Amino acid sequence: MTGWRARVAPGRWRALLGYAVGIAVGAAAWQLIGLHSANFVFAPLTTTLSSLGSLISDGSLPSALASSFSVYVTGAAVAIVAGAAIGMLFARRALLRKAFEPYLVALYATPMVALIPFLLALIGFGFWPKVIVVFLFSFFPVEFATQRGAQSIAPELLDVARAFRTSENQIWRHVVIPYTLPYLMTGVRQALARGLVGMISAEFFLSAGGLGSLLITQSEQFDTSAMLAVTLVITLVGVILMAMGRAFERQFARWRVTS
Amino acid sequence: MSAADRNLPAAARTSPDARRAQRLPVMRRGIAPGRGAGRPSGLEEASGAEAEAARRERTQVFLARVATGIGILVLWQVCAAALAPGYIARPLGVLGQVPTVFGDQSFWSAAGSTVLAVVEGLIIAIVFGTVIGLVMGRVRDVDRALRLYVDSFYAMPLVALVPLLTVWFGYTPLARLAVVVIEALLPVIFSVAEGGRSLSAEFTDVARAYRAPWWRIWAGIVLPASLPYLLGGIDLAIGRALVGAVVAEFIASLNGLGYYILFNVRSFQEDRAMLAMVLLVAFALAVRVPFSMFVRRELPWYRAG
Repeated sequence: MTGWRARVAPGRWRALLGYAVGIAVGAAAWQLIGLHSANFVFAPLTTTLSSLGSLISDGSLPSALASSFSVYVTGAAVAIVAGAAIGMLFARRALLRKAFEPYLVALYATPMVALIPFLLALIGFGFWPKVIVVFLFSFFPVEFATQRGAQSIAPELLDVARAFRTSENQIWRHVVIPYTLPYLMTGVRQALARGLVGMISAEFFLSAGGLGSLLITQSEQFDTSAMLAVTLVITLVGVILMAMGRAFERQFARWRVTS
Repeated sequence: MSAADRNLPAAARTSPDARRAQRLPVMRRGIAPGRGAGRPSGLEEASGAEAEAARRERTQVFLARVATGIGILVLWQVCAAALAPGYIARPLGVLGQVPTVFGDQSFWSAAGSTVLAVVEGLIIAIVFGTVIGLVMGRVRDVDRALRLYVDSFYAMPLVALVPLLTVWFGYTPLARLAVVVIEALLPVIFSVAEGGRSLSAEFTDVARAYRAPWWRIWAGIVLPASLPYLLGGIDLAIGRALVGAVVAEFIASLNGLGYYILFNVRSFQEDRAMLAMVLLVAFALAVRVPFSMFVRRELPWYRAG
């Protein structure tokens, strides 16, 4: 029973073998299922990759990526800056925080995709509606994480600062912001992932351009291998962004004041 | 949740409530200057004047909340009336639609359909996610083989799979169920696997020393130890399941709350759609708030991420 649990003799080669087997089985399954299913249902790995090549060479994938990227970066950047600022402000101003708390909690739980039709009716298609959707998806995790972090500042730190007659301005610069940054980064990681969901759903409904609308066009043409290729690219983007978020978080986790 | 957080010594992981208690004097000073400054905060102090102050603070907070809510609604109403075309939703219009929507058979069938799909999908995802997550968390080789896939699917925006799933399942409620299950499955697997990994070996060693059969180790030790992680995973899964259901309804034009919203916005009945939106949020809150309150109160060491 302990043999297959591998806690006994882990060994580096065994780990590598595990990963390799995982990838190989996955790729083989993809290829085999693709070969034995109808064209519009699933495509083999090789067809998907050649489809990916043609999507890149005819320029549709790079242009979609560029369009998605500009929307995503704008929306996420605004959300992170605004979320951090409002989160810290609310943490420092108790009455303000308590006044807005129930509404923020409700908005945080709101499935933001359902707001897309309203946005469409209000401001139409284009760049900014998509940015707003990305913003709505990624603002609240940042705001919550920042607020939670800034609220947990040890009272000793503030008391010492106050004992030395530190101005509110300096308290912000030297206590609140540095203390909160690690928490902010947790929010940023969540925001990066949620913003991507917002970006794809916004592009499904709000645009002629971007990865999401590329997927919709392909699904209408039953071009499954191209859909799989785009999905693969989206997965890759997601994994890279998640790794970036984790790296930020780890980088700043060392700052975390313990106890 | 960050790994650094869990590795802290027990003393450093003060529960949020304990911290709040420490912070209380500072916060109170912020609201009413001079009150309670420099006084030790002990239980015996919480009498008479203290209780009076606490009550006053509670009313103050309540009034501030109500005022904020009314302020938001008034601002919305005024802006919509002054700037937006007539079909844009506004609070008074939404209020006026209450009798129509609540008496509308199609609304109830849409709401029932979405709620049922979300609940059904969540149950399927929780059962399968717990099993897969536990095996991944406890059996290294399975973890290595599956880790790549679980991590990638967890990191990717799963709504991107909706067009593909509509090709596979057609424009049927089955496609929505599949989207909900996939959306909810990943956070559950991810959290439960983390729970399984974090179980300290001493527990299983003791059980094995007493010759506990394998199924009792899994059901009696591994599963309960992973429970807080499972709950954290479900909390995330609920939100994602709702997003998935709404996107699937939008794309596949399925009968449901999401499509009800889309249809009414398109036929210039935004007030009706906004009311449906409010009820969707109410449903989300009704499921999530008691849940996360339970997690925060009973399992304060767990932080969802």
